[in-house]
Amino acid sequence: MTVVVLPTLVESTYCKSLWISAKSFSACVCVCVRAGDRLCSTEDCMPGTGVYLRHGYIYSSLAGYVLRKNEGEELPVISVVRETEAQLLPDVGAIVTCKVRFGELLMSTTDVKEDVRATEKDRYISVSLLSGAQMVPISWCEMQCPRTHAKEFRKVARVQPEYLQA
Amino acid sequence: MAGLELLSDQGYRLDGRKATELRKVHARMGLFAQVDGSAYIEQGNTKALAVVYGSHEDRAARLHDRAVINCQYSMATFSTAERKRRPHGDRKSTEMSLHLKQTFEAAVLTNLYPRSQIDIYVKILQSDGGNYSACVNAATLAVIDAGIPMRDYVCACTAGFVDETPLADLCHAEESGGGTSLALALLPRGGHIDHLETLMEAAMTACKGVSKVLDEVVRQHLQEVSALTGE
Repeated sequence: MTVVVLPTLVESTYCKSLWISAKSFSACVCVCVRAGDRLCSTEDCMPGTGVYLRHGYIYSSLAGYVLRKNEGEELPVISVVRETEAQLLPDVGAIVTCKVRFGELLMSTTDVKEDVRATEKDRYISVSLLSGAQMVPISWCEMQCPRTHAKEFRKVARVQPEYLQA
Repeated sequence: MAGLELLSDQGYRLDGRKATELRKVHARMGLFAQVDGSAYIEQGNTKALAVVYGSHEDRAARLHDRAVINCQYSMATFSTAERKRRPHGDRKSTEMSLHLKQTFEAAVLTNLYPRSQIDIYVKILQSDGGNYSACVNAATLAVIDAGIPMRDYVCACTAGFVDETPLADLCHAEESGGGTSLALALLPRGGHIDHLETLMEAAMTACKGVSKVLDEVVRQHLQEVSALTGE
């Protein structure tokens, strides 16, 4: 399943298994640190993942390697990652391959056209084509895009009305 | 038994250690592939195994803003000299589980995982004093192996007192020898906020106040009794 990363997916707390092949990153990996190591002060870097702030300093919260990413004019982002290849977090807009652990729906084929958004509304996943329109279920196993009228086979989950955003 | 002193005149303990010497520590991480984190530790003859299931959905959704940490402490039936009848569920295990839970709730950054649950299971395979400390240390390694973020390592050890000499890392004979002992777990890098001093002072002042009240009650009672019986 190919996914375009949106900010909400990265923050989702239930997506545990995440194989990431990020398209591009700029990083420099050097030092091995342990949880509790002081890395730098908040004036030198912005905190990324795997770190926490305390009294104006950035400390590591994992045992791993320090990653410093230069974002541009802003301060570099400092994170601690466990394995250098697999755990680099993708930027928004990167193409990733992902497996949803707690979602009810889909085992989709690797169709590059698809754009899956995982939201936090009780693990409800809505599917939309890259045309951007939300697909409408027409039967228990078929969905149709209202714009292009393309039909796709999808298992349709019934969402309870109180969770549906109008 | 003659000669079985906890601390000899030359300053050697039962197992030949000096007073502040720790037992030999062997530890391994990442023992099992099926679980998220695991670790095994040997402190002298005490052996502990810890297994961590990383943050997963908490079906009861008990805390909306952070993770719940479940701990279970148990001892293997073969861990003590006499076969242990009730490995878990007894009062001591429940109490140790609660201590472990409180310890790790302070160290793990639970606010990163709202509405989830982290499970820590620790088993004592061989018990020779310092059970709780071995558990805490094994659990720390297992949590790190699982990649769960923590403020700092949680390190634990016991200490005791014999003839005004403090001993570090007590074995079973020293713990059950009848002297004082203390098990301490802390975050060693100074992330530890310690309220013990202030609490002790407040409690001591309060106890002195209680002592005055009790004194008054006793005096009054004596006066009443002597008034009744006549001088």
